[in-house]
Amino acid sequence: MGFFDKLFKKDDKAKAEAPKEEPKAAAKAAAKAAPAEAAPAPVADGPVETIGLPAADLGELLPGAPPGGKFKLAIYWAAACGGCDVSLLDTNERILTIGDMADIVMWPIAADGKEKDIAAMEDGEILVSIISGAVRNSENAHMVKLLRQKSKVVVSYGTCACFGGSPALANLVPGEAKEILEYVYEKTPSTANFQADYHAGAPVVPQTSYQAPEGELTLPVFCDTVKTLDQVIDVDYYVPGCPPLQESISQLLKAVADFAYNGVPLPPKGTEIGITTKTLCEECPRHKENARISHIYEPHEVDIKPDVCLMDQGILCLGPATVGGCGARCTRVGQPCRGCYGPTSDVQEQGASMFTAIASLFPIREDDGIIGEDEIVKIMSEVKDPLGYFYAFTLGKSLIKKAVVEGGQ
Amino acid sequence: MADFEPRIVTFCCNWCSYAGADGAGVARLQMPTNFRIIRTMCSARVDPEFILRAFSKGADGVMVLGCHPADCHYIGGNYRARRRVALLRMVLEQYGFDPKRLKLEWVSASEGEKFQVTIVDFVNTIKALGPTPLKKEAN
Repeated sequence: MGFFDKLFKKDDKAKAEAPKEEPKAAAKAAAKAAPAEAAPAPVADGPVETIGLPAADLGELLPGAPPGGKFKLAIYWAAACGGCDVSLLDTNERILTIGDMADIVMWPIAADGKEKDIAAMEDGEILVSIISGAVRNSENAHMVKLLRQKSKVVVSYGTCACFGGSPALANLVPGEAKEILEYVYEKTPSTANFQADYHAGAPVVPQTSYQAPEGELTLPVFCDTVKTLDQVIDVDYYVPGCPPLQESISQLLKAVADFAYNGVPLPPKGTEIGITTKTLCEECPRHKENARISHIYEPHEVDIKPDVCLMDQGILCLGPATVGGCGARCTRVGQPCRGCYGPTSDVQEQGASMFTAIASLFPIREDDGIIGEDEIVKIMSEVKDPLGYFYAFTLGKSLIKKAVVEGGQ
Repeated sequence: MADFEPRIVTFCCNWCSYAGADGAGVARLQMPTNFRIIRTMCSARVDPEFILRAFSKGADGVMVLGCHPADCHYIGGNYRARRRVALLRMVLEQYGFDPKRLKLEWVSASEGEKFQVTIVDFVNTIKALGPTPLKKEAN
């Protein structure tokens, strides 16, 4: 049975179970929610200017071109959704002054700059390359290597570039590239009919090279493993976030502008920009009761109390395992943290930190001394899909990065 | 696969299982030499990251040994450890590992014999499963 078949089978099971639990949960939630509504001043409406790290004061920094003339700036996306590129526009009117400061030599989503233009440059001619997205195919790998060669500073921008992000979850398909391509081009409901109707027996799949009369046509090769940016090239700075906040961008901008205008040295290599040293829970204004839970709810199943810790309400929140810096924007509005800022700098594994936290959240029962391991498995099975949930953003950087096949050697 | 000698990482808690292992040694009980013991103060000190790190470095199996339930030196450490191990076994299965590669067992300070039996059993289990399916990373 393939990876994708299993996915669908699980889905059916979940659907069958769902109606049993939902009415109960809803009734409980309604009962719980009643007193909470009377509570004054929900935190979500509080002042927002104190959230997380402050934005850097750019002040008078950008009065025109730097003394040595405009420097070159490249922005590139590898396997990314484009949200990171859009987030760069969060600098609002500053984006215009960036035009004063730098020549944007490449920005596929917004500017016209071609691979051959970059290839023709001297090594180190570009001052900063901001690269978002994981490395998924041979084109991504080629472009990031080229930009590394031509740039003084490379910034790994966004969660996909720093930790693999959602694209890296594809590493959990044991059949690697072959199984993914087969599924996408032959088995998804929308393509299966097309292939059966028009190409029965000989499905159409993209070729990486084709000899046309006019010459050879090529497509990038789809890699077996999705890699983070720093697994492919040397990276100078990291800006995590899905996407990074405007405050992080302003700090990155300030560092670069300070360097270009005033000759202030750049931060040390390897700096993560826009994070704190503590976890998200430190920034989250919700009140922690350290309650013990025995059932995990989806956010839509309960009426979320506005000022109580989400974990105490039985909602899985990755706050305890995620580094702060975002100002707990999601938990302030009642959405659990999904962990896009990655682990704290003291650990490598965000998921493992979360296992530790979640296992301690389930109460020690009175009969815990005599129950067997089967019962414990039943308790912990409340956590559905721990690998997919706790590593949703960081699988590319985890200790075990890929699915394995027993006896497959 | 006849000459396959598994490499097994064993976490023993300081108060029960490590003393149990000591007891097995003092009693000169015979057991395979495929395991390396790492002593921790409590089975709950075994961070899931330690276990994943052991697997990622090529361990064929990992054992976590602690005090019997209701016997923990720190009152409730082993209850937490068993919940973490249950969760980790689910995760290992999702990765594609056989969850039998991770074992949790209770060995008290007086149970040298149980330590020996546990080791022998686990080594046999891993020998039957074969080497770790984790391939060396090709960069």
